[in-house]
Amino acid sequence: MVLKIFFPQCCNRADSGLLVGRWLSGHDSAVVLAVIHYPFIPGQVKQYIQQIQARSGVELSVLGSWSLPKEGQEGMESFLRDLSTIFPQKRWLQINRELGKTGFNCQVLSRDQNGRVIPREIKKKADKIDGEAGGDGEKKTKKEEEEKEKEEEKEKEEEKEKQDEDEEEKVIFVHYEQRKVMLSQLHPIENGLSDPTTDPSSELRQMFRSVALSQPLYFLDRYDDGPLKSTHWQSEGREASIIVELLKHSTLPLCVLIRWLLSIWTWICDIRVFSLSPLRFLSSKLSTCVQLSYRTEHMRTLSSQKPAAGHTEFMRKANMVVSVLLDVALGMLLMWWLYKDNHISMLANTVVPAADHVAKELEELLQWLMGAPAGLKMNRALDQVLGRFFLYHIHLWISYIHLMSPFIEGILWYGGLSACFGLTFALSLLSDMVALLTFHIYCFYVYGARLYCLKIYGLSSLWRLFRGKKWNVLRQRVDSCSYDLDQLFIGTLLFTVLLFLLPTTALYYLVFTLLRLVVVLFQGVLHLSVDFINSFPLFAVALRITRSYRLAEGVKFKVLCEEPGTALHLLMEINPLKSSAVVQLYRTPTYSCYPKDSWAALAKKLFVGELIYPWRHKTTKTD
Amino acid sequence: MGPDGAPGPAVPWRKVLWERQPFPDNYVDQRFLEELRRNEGIRQYRYWTVVKEAGFVGEQLSCVAIFITLWLYMEQGQLSPERLLWSSLICALLGYGLHQALTPQVQSGCEPRTRLADLQSATIFLSFTFGFSPVLKTLTESVSTDTVYAMSAMMLLAHLVSFPYAQPSPPGSLSLNAALFASVCLASRLPGALHTFAMLSCALLVFALWPCLLQRLREKAPSHFTGVCVGVCFAGVGGLGSQWPGGAVLLALALGSVTLLCPLLLVRLQRHKDNIQGPWDEAEIQEDLSHFLR
Repeated sequence: MVLKIFFPQCCNRADSGLLVGRWLSGHDSAVVLAVIHYPFIPGQVKQYIQQIQARSGVELSVLGSWSLPKEGQEGMESFLRDLSTIFPQKRWLQINRELGKTGFNCQVLSRDQNGRVIPREIKKKADKIDGEAGGDGEKKTKKEEEEKEKEEEKEKEEEKEKQDEDEEEKVIFVHYEQRKVMLSQLHPIENGLSDPTTDPSSELRQMFRSVALSQPLYFLDRYDDGPLKSTHWQSEGREASIIVELLKHSTLPLCVLIRWLLSIWTWICDIRVFSLSPLRFLSSKLSTCVQLSYRTEHMRTLSSQKPAAGHTEFMRKANMVVSVLLDVALGMLLMWWLYKDNHISMLANTVVPAADHVAKELEELLQWLMGAPAGLKMNRALDQVLGRFFLYHIHLWISYIHLMSPFIEGILWYGGLSACFGLTFALSLLSDMVALLTFHIYCFYVYGARLYCLKIYGLSSLWRLFRGKKWNVLRQRVDSCSYDLDQLFIGTLLFTVLLFLLPTTALYYLVFTLLRLVVVLFQGVLHLSVDFINSFPLFAVALRITRSYRLAEGVKFKVLCEEPGTALHLLMEINPLKSSAVVQLYRTPTYSCYPKDSWAALAKKLFVGELIYPWRHKTTKTD
Repeated sequence: MGPDGAPGPAVPWRKVLWERQPFPDNYVDQRFLEELRRNEGIRQYRYWTVVKEAGFVGEQLSCVAIFITLWLYMEQGQLSPERLLWSSLICALLGYGLHQALTPQVQSGCEPRTRLADLQSATIFLSFTFGFSPVLKTLTESVSTDTVYAMSAMMLLAHLVSFPYAQPSPPGSLSLNAALFASVCLASRLPGALHTFAMLSCALLVFALWPCLLQRLREKAPSHFTGVCVGVCFAGVGGLGSQWPGGAVLLALALGSVTLLCPLLLVRLQRHKDNIQGPWDEAEIQEDLSHFLR
């Protein structure tokens, strides 16, 4: 059997005392959490441990004794052994460290059925490297493996050693940094906090949970005037934590305020007028409205009274807060720039000429199309009809723009104010304005696409008629069919007409689709950036960068000392989660505001003339 | 006899696999070829019968030639559309009368088409053709003439290839559609809308209605059918000769080879036919060809 002892690094130099920790159920291993120093009254120790156990829910016990002899404290062997009778345990660890040496000695005293102590002497000497600085100067056989592989590795090693000294129980010391283990969250996260005693989870997970849950144990610090003194990890920044506490208290009224505002906002949104179908359709297509509803939901989540249950929800909330703060900060920056040097009026003065210019370019394009574009031979009559139709449309559009031009500056001025809600609002508004200003292009595209679509569908079905086939709707296949003479005649006539008119329509469709794609691409970039700000887990990424141990994916072990006949000393280091995994895991679920077509599907849609939109069609969340 | 050599024991061989025999599995004995049969169910063709049947192919070829001739006349302005329309109308009425006369009075099973239905169809044809003829006129304006000719030639060829010679009534979809497409292409090259209309009506007559009448004729009066075929062939050659003598010579050669030479070849080659059948299963190679298409 191999006994694994997880030993905190901060206790390496602790004074002699009792080892407090827990045995991991189902595994032959123990976690040492703290050392309670001499002198103490055993009754108080027991009471203290019970208190802590009640508060933390971790099954704590006295694991054994720890002795770091100082001058004048020799010959405590028998005393330490007697302690085991005071704190009755199935196994009693007796770890002592010799003066001036770096090795640990460990004795395991087992109790048989009669309650008699059987000393099983294990002579373990190990070169122990002091303090935090692991195995820096020593020989290092660095093994970076995932946790399970490591276990197997150890198992193998132990088997090898077993052949040498068969009877002896092996002890492996795994040194861990208590603070990091306490704060870190092992991934993948287990949902549902099941009872740690009945849960047959992995050893490492149990160990992490024990360390994290026994936080009440760490409140007793060395300056406390209580009857007990102990060594364990201690926080060093009480002042900082006071500020955090103050902040926590100050957020309460803020939350109440936000909730009140939200309730007013929801009341406004629930007014009947807004649920009428045209308005609702419009608001579902305007990205500003989508962003507004999205942020409303964010704020609702953030201002809820319930504290975050579990790590995932906490991270989600934190990510939301950071993303909202960043968004507002960027928006303020944008506002500052906009209103600083009267940039608004400059923008307004460029918008109308730009729209004019676009319209002029379009007119030229249409004139070109009405001639013989790129040497293509088009049907002249249809070409003229289509060209005149589109020209008239542009004429209408230009008059509309000129009608609107006096108001554009005002619209921009008030629209710019929306940036104080955040950059995402400004971007959404920009996207909507682009959509409105390029409405003529959209119209052209729709006309062209509809015409083209009609032709394609007509041609495909008439081609079937041409070959004497038809589409069987019930069986979803092409069947042969005998048509009447007049059906054949009319079908062929139409087929010929459509076939010869197709190139003209297709060219118009192609040109306007390209224009439309440019607009859609621009809007798509805007939507993507909005989506990025909304969903990027900035808090989690920052945590990963600055406190990489907080999000653990596993552990790796470094061998501190490996000699035949001595205990293996391993240093446990936390493997941080990969950055890509962090982004993937903590990404705030959003509406994906771009259609999730593959490129092939998009190409097919374009070919058959289906309309493409920059927004999604389904309003399902990707949660 | 068997491929692996006969051991020649006294036990007679039996053609069973469920019994253990001292022969290899692929052994057959000498009676194997006794069951060989040659050319089972063969029909001995007679030359003139085949010529008569092939005459129909030649007749269809000549129909196409007649249509082309009419188009050539129209294009050069030697035939006014009014005249063509009138003559088409007269032909259609005559043909309709003949068709009605040849139709058996009592038909078993299906309902005979009423006069009203025929009138309705005729109205549809005429009105659609008349309505569409201005559109059709401008349809291929920007397409080059060579392209139009090539397309028409391809389509007429497709019409001839896919024409259901064995059962031409009702006309096959693909052949009729191809012919109509070709005639629309050709008609759109004519100088005016009325020309287009006349040409399309004529095409309808030649490609859609004429085969129906001919089929009726073949059923009721086979002797007259042969005469009509010969007449159409001569008309085709003569008509094309009046516009394009080289074409007429080519057509005559083609007609000769199709109606006279090909049947001769068929009858001659039939002697060499050697189709064997026996007590074996023929191996059918059903290779999956789809991977060649990728």
